[in-house]
Amino acid sequence: MHEYSLASAIINQVKQVAREHNATKVNKITVSADPYEMVIPELLQDAFNIITSELELFEGTQLELLRLPAEIICLDCDYKGKPSEEGDKEFAYNFKCPKCDSRDTHLNIRHLTIETVDLEIPE
Amino acid sequence: MTQEKKITVKKPAYLQNDKLADEIREIMKSKDKLFFNVMGSIGAGKTFLLERIAEKLTPHYRIFVINGDVATTIDADRIASKGATTVQINTGGGCHLNAKLIQNELDKINIDDYDIFFTENVGNLICPSAWDVGAQLDIVVVSITEGEYVIKKHPIIFKGAQIAVINKCDLDGLGFNSDTLVEDAKKIKSDMKVICTSAKQITGIDELIAALGIKI
Repeated sequence: MHEYSLASAIINQVKQVAREHNATKVNKITVSADPYEMVIPELLQDAFNIITSELELFEGTQLELLRLPAEIICLDCDYKGKPSEEGDKEFAYNFKCPKCDSRDTHLNIRHLTIETVDLEIPE
Repeated sequence: MTQEKKITVKKPAYLQNDKLADEIREIMKSKDKLFFNVMGSIGAGKTFLLERIAEKLTPHYRIFVINGDVATTIDADRIASKGATTVQINTGGGCHLNAKLIQNELDKINIDDYDIFFTENVGNLICPSAWDVGAQLDIVVVSITEGEYVIKKHPIIFKGAQIAVINKCDLDGLGFNSDTLVEDAKKIKSDMKVICTSAKQITGIDELIAALGIKI
């Protein structure tokens, strides 16, 4: 449900980028998020469509969501990177450290990020 | 004629909210104020706990509570009856508070008129976790009546919190069990402070106040 707030936040920032470059159209927005970011792609797209429906700048804009691979930070040995392939079966999101086998790990949460925007700019 | 150009942005979608939240945190710190964000499900007992906290703290401190709910001023009125100053934000359909909503309320008051600030976030265990409100500590309240799997099923909000409050512990053994919740809250991160409370029986409230770093 908070996808609406997220879509608004994305649109506000992209509007500013478009203004800075005197763009007439935004062709594509690429955003990224890790697997734990609570965002449902379809809902984000719906919210985006509703908000931009009457904005000329965003006519036909493609919104792409890239899912980043999981990363953990080990609280025992400071390892940062991919979790062990054993996964988090024992406890949701408590991944095993591949270096020291500890399950006292945090997710390295990388929130929804605007990576790139493709703009139509007058020559 | 136009040309297409790819611009690298690399900025979090939450940028504006996070910046504002950092500003709020900075202002509170510079003024030596405490600010806590209380989250939890509908019916977990957040309001009742804040009533009990207000009863204990208002003889010593000036308390300001920002309540978030879809509708009504019931929660703000209840906590105000215990001596705190409260304001109710009605979010309409909004499922979480954010830094802008908090800033709007702080702009209407003089921060120096209060010592300790609380939010009572909108009741759910999903959306509030993603929106920083500028608090110094995030507290999640769960009640043992929500079922023994409630922490396992909502790991993200607990990963981000510093204190987990297990409420309604007076019902422990009466068909409900706090053991699994305590165990899961500790498992989710080793440095989690876990406190069992009963707002009804007024147990664990002093421990919670101490965990917030407040001296009476």
